Amino acid sequence: MARRKQTASDRLFTRSMIVLFAMIFLGFGAGAFGLAKVQLVHGKEYAAKAEAGQLRDTEVAARRGDIYDSNMKPIAQSASAGKVYINPSSLAKASNSEELLAVMCKELAPILGISEARLRNQASYSNRNYMSLRGQVELATMEKVNAFREKECIIKTNGKDSEGKATTLESKSKYGYFIGVQPDVIRFYPLKSFAANLLGFTGADDIGRAGLELYYNKELTGTPGRIVSAKNAADANLPIQYESMYNPIPGNSLVLTIDEVIQRYLERSLEQAKIDAKAKAAYGIIMDVKTGAILGMSCVSSYDPGDYQSIADEEHRRAIEAITDEQERKKAYNQAMMEQWRNGTIELTYEPGSVFKTITVSAALEEGVIGMNTQYTCTGSTVVAGRRISCHKHSGHGLQDLTQGLMNSCNPFMIEIGQKLGVERFYKYFTAFGFTETTGIDLPNEAVPKPGINIHTQQSMHSVELASCSFGQSFEASPIQILTAVSAIANGGKLMQPYVVAKVLDENQRVLKETKPTVRRQVISADTAEKMAGMMEQVVVAGTGKNGYVAGGRVAGKTGTSEKLSAKEGYVASFCCFAPADSPEIAMLIAIDEPVGLINGGQIAAPPAAEIMENILVYKNVELRYNEKEQEKLGGSTPNAVGGAAASAAQRLEAQGFSVRVIGKGETVLHQIPESGRSIAQNGLIILYTEDGGAAQTVKVPVLTGLSITQANKEAAAAGLNIKLTGNFESNNLVTYRQSIAPGEEVPLGTAVTVHFVSNNGVVDR
Amino acid sequence: MAGISKTAAREGWRAQRRAKEPLRRQLLAYGGFDFPFMLIVIVLLGIGLVMMFSAGYVNALRKYGDAYYFIKRQLGYALGGVALMFVISKINLNMLRRFAIPGLGLAFLLLVVVLFYHTNLSDATAQEDFKRWIPLPGGMTVQPSEVGKLALILFYAYAMEKYQRPHYTKASEQALLRSTEAGRLKAFWHRWRYTGLYMAVLLLMVALVFLENHVSGTVITLGIGALMIFVGEQRIPLWFYGLVAVIAVAAVAVFYTHPEILPAYAAKRIIAFKDPMLDPTGDNWQITQSLLAIGSGGWFGLGWGESIQKHLYLPEPQNDFVFAIVCEEIGFIGAFAILLLFVALVWRGFMIALHTKERFGSLLVIGIVLQVGMQTALNIGVVTGVLPNTGIPLPFFSAGGTALLMLLAEMGIVLAVSRVAREIKR
Repeated sequence: MARRKQTASDRLFTRSMIVLFAMIFLGFGAGAFGLAKVQLVHGKEYAAKAEAGQLRDTEVAARRGDIYDSNMKPIAQSASAGKVYINPSSLAKASNSEELLAVMCKELAPILGISEARLRNQASYSNRNYMSLRGQVELATMEKVNAFREKECIIKTNGKDSEGKATTLESKSKYGYFIGVQPDVIRFYPLKSFAANLLGFTGADDIGRAGLELYYNKELTGTPGRIVSAKNAADANLPIQYESMYNPIPGNSLVLTIDEVIQRYLERSLEQAKIDAKAKAAYGIIMDVKTGAILGMSCVSSYDPGDYQSIADEEHRRAIEAITDEQERKKAYNQAMMEQWRNGTIELTYEPGSVFKTITVSAALEEGVIGMNTQYTCTGSTVVAGRRISCHKHSGHGLQDLTQGLMNSCNPFMIEIGQKLGVERFYKYFTAFGFTETTGIDLPNEAVPKPGINIHTQQSMHSVELASCSFGQSFEASPIQILTAVSAIANGGKLMQPYVVAKVLDENQRVLKETKPTVRRQVISADTAEKMAGMMEQVVVAGTGKNGYVAGGRVAGKTGTSEKLSAKEGYVASFCCFAPADSPEIAMLIAIDEPVGLINGGQIAAPPAAEIMENILVYKNVELRYNEKEQEKLGGSTPNAVGGAAASAAQRLEAQGFSVRVIGKGETVLHQIPESGRSIAQNGLIILYTEDGGAAQTVKVPVLTGLSITQANKEAAAAGLNIKLTGNFESNNLVTYRQSIAPGEEVPLGTAVTVHFVSNNGVVDR
Repeated sequence: MAGISKTAAREGWRAQRRAKEPLRRQLLAYGGFDFPFMLIVIVLLGIGLVMMFSAGYVNALRKYGDAYYFIKRQLGYALGGVALMFVISKINLNMLRRFAIPGLGLAFLLLVVVLFYHTNLSDATAQEDFKRWIPLPGGMTVQPSEVGKLALILFYAYAMEKYQRPHYTKASEQALLRSTEAGRLKAFWHRWRYTGLYMAVLLLMVALVFLENHVSGTVITLGIGALMIFVGEQRIPLWFYGLVAVIAVAAVAVFYTHPEILPAYAAKRIIAFKDPMLDPTGDNWQITQSLLAIGSGGWFGLGWGESIQKHLYLPEPQNDFVFAIVCEEIGFIGAFAILLLFVALVWRGFMIALHTKERFGSLLVIGIVLQVGMQTALNIGVVTGVLPNTGIPLPFFSAGGTALLMLLAEMGIVLAVSRVAREIKR
């Protein structure tokens, strides 16, 4: 018994020990092995995978830099906005998703301004948990979105009850469970279409798509920040301790060389010019001669970069909307988009036409093949290599000296000069003035001259080509190229590199970079340049550019009218000028694309140029030096009569040649119109008010356009208004064509109305 | 009279006391219990609660709006369970012996009832039809397979003690039995009848558990039963164990290569186990996320409460996969230490068993400790991807009130046995 018991106990012990060790080594050993394998051997892999799933690497958009004009007025700014997305996978899990979606379509879609179809489409990706609904949502709208997200809803899911029967489970939730928001930024263009083609715009992703926004995208974008946070499987953030934040570095701001005031003058006049000429488009660039800084750059029609996808031109839009074929309409729409976004002043090319004659003459003068006294008799045509090329004036200009040749824009004379220069020397200057290369302006998509396609190569240029080139035909250049070249003449022969960004500022408005003007090369001598300026001033004083004249402004310029190479019919009328001729500061090119009716640069491009130039010269405080005739007409400034006795003041003013009207029964002058210091014609009208509080008498502005100077003067005087005439008094056949205050407007008695006049005599160069 | 009666009364009281003593002795166990074992249990329970809270609060907050939802419940059960453990540790083994047969009866009753009256606690959206829980009033549930395991252990311990010795032990008797055909039959019957009974009980129980759609319960019940028969029933020749082992290996091989013969829910998990990359977001989501959690822990872990995988990546991290979060938060070092604590528990349990004179107590402890050990090993095997995903909770760690209560009651039984395990008492 005892022995057996012992044995049984021994067996129990033995077998227990077998089981114990099997348990420890097989069971726990396997566990420890698995643990070590997963945790120690593959730990890093798994950790990395886990992190990839766990971490939400949210990019925090850096605030895009602002864009300022040269006076630090903001023209493009970024503001906080929001992005709204939907979580389709969580929506799909609900059995009443259709019901929930219907509510979203009804309430959320209108808030976001998206179509029901888009919402439904985005919600249909049921295996995703993030589908964007709309970005760049303004904060006011975001408040409404958030209110919607707080709205309660019932989520139903299919499940089983305790008995295992299929049943519907209901849980209370909010729409925020399906609809998420994220910070975003939005780009504002407070001045709307101001300099739009230059500025460009940003896409929905806050990336520059055109213009400066594109060219300086990197600079403006800054470095996005990151929030690396752990998220749970439901895509929500975990408590803050898992978060590490890398602050975004805001983008840098740009200060442009563009001056808002000048740009506005340019845009206003260009718009009017386009309407007057019934043109397809109008382009204008204004440059600081000494630096190459662009002061204004405009394309008409333009668009609003804040709403870059609508066609700004009403007429064009209606025309496109009228297209019935959807394919065609889409095509037309896209085409219109591309056209309106394009910055024609640098992206388009045209034949410079007669404007280019300044280059030909500069080259010839510099090379000494002609002199100021060179004469030429224009018979109306000339023969080059057996081919007859006629002048725009078929009867011929007769005997002219060089200056007259330019004033008349005589083609045969230019051909003669070109032939004298020869291909090699011509091409040298053609290249030197920058017609074979881009100007290097800091804007995207600058037109690149394509030898053999839109410019001649030196090898392919023979006497016939040389002949046409010497008066600016048979090759193309972009407006910025032409203006840069002509500016070189104005700048003592130094060709500048044009630029639009003057400074780059960091987020604290500290200057990071400042653009130094770049002289690309000395193209012609200062002496030649001076001679050219003198001749070009004569073009404006008495030649084809006489409508570009600004009293006292000493504008030098050259008109151009060229047939378009690309279009069967159609012209580009242009006027390139700078002022003052003796020490040029401002250069300008105005080009009118496909005008209807009057087509000559001297007729339609020069008058707006004169308006703009006059405004700029006044704005820039460039001293206007009037000649005697002008002095008499508009050189005076209004004397002060306020505070003096009415009677004696009137007497004194009348003695100076002014007309005086005293209004009121008081003894002393309390108020006068025009105010003292304002410019006034020497026989202008001054109104003296002697009674306090009495409202100034008003008059209706009469129609002052389409009149001769004398008639306009009379009309103004009859209405009790002062008139300020601007234009070239030297020429004949003057017709007023624009007045600064619209007819019919009520203005105080004595107000000065500026009236522009033009001459249509001898301004034709085609 | 008075003197006599006084003496008689005193004598009577003494007699009464003497007479009472055996009953008390019969009901209660005396002597100290095994303190180290109790300490290991309390330490494991403490760590388990802390880790379960950490692992589960995110889910609790999300599901019930209260981060303490699981831990409050678990803590309540733990306190009750510890009290129960100490109460049971005072029970005399004779009392337990009396429970053996009725306990088995009750277990079978419940195992049959659950097939017809059950509640599905698992995710309501799952398609699986689990018949594992009997709902009780007050939101409680009973898991008959758990009751079954304990009842089986109790029954085996009882029976294997009672029918320990063969009836014919003398050589002359055996020779007589072998001499005739009837005698050989009788000998065979005597040799196999209890073994047959044990196996019949085991197979019946396993069949019922299997019908619940409960493969993990089936496997553990089978394992405990087989091992207890191996340890406690000593009449079976070794070749028979060899045969059982071969069948077991063959069955595993067949199930592994042809999972489709298993019920769909189990087959799915084996298929998923075979190719973890097959569907990392579907059937393998849990195990994939578990591996990512464990892997993230590295040597030292992310720190207590710092797990990220518990943030809804790992489904139900407070349940079967709590160990993954343990690994993530306290790293290999911590997880290994916990593993060692479990080993210590098993070791100490065996020491108690082997130092207990009463065979019933020994087998009882071995069975209970085996159950805890197997569950732990299987759970860790699953969590670390060594085994297919079966729903086995980790003792002391996984959330589940009745299971914890049951576990602590079993620990109480071990402690009760330890009171009579004289040798290791110091």
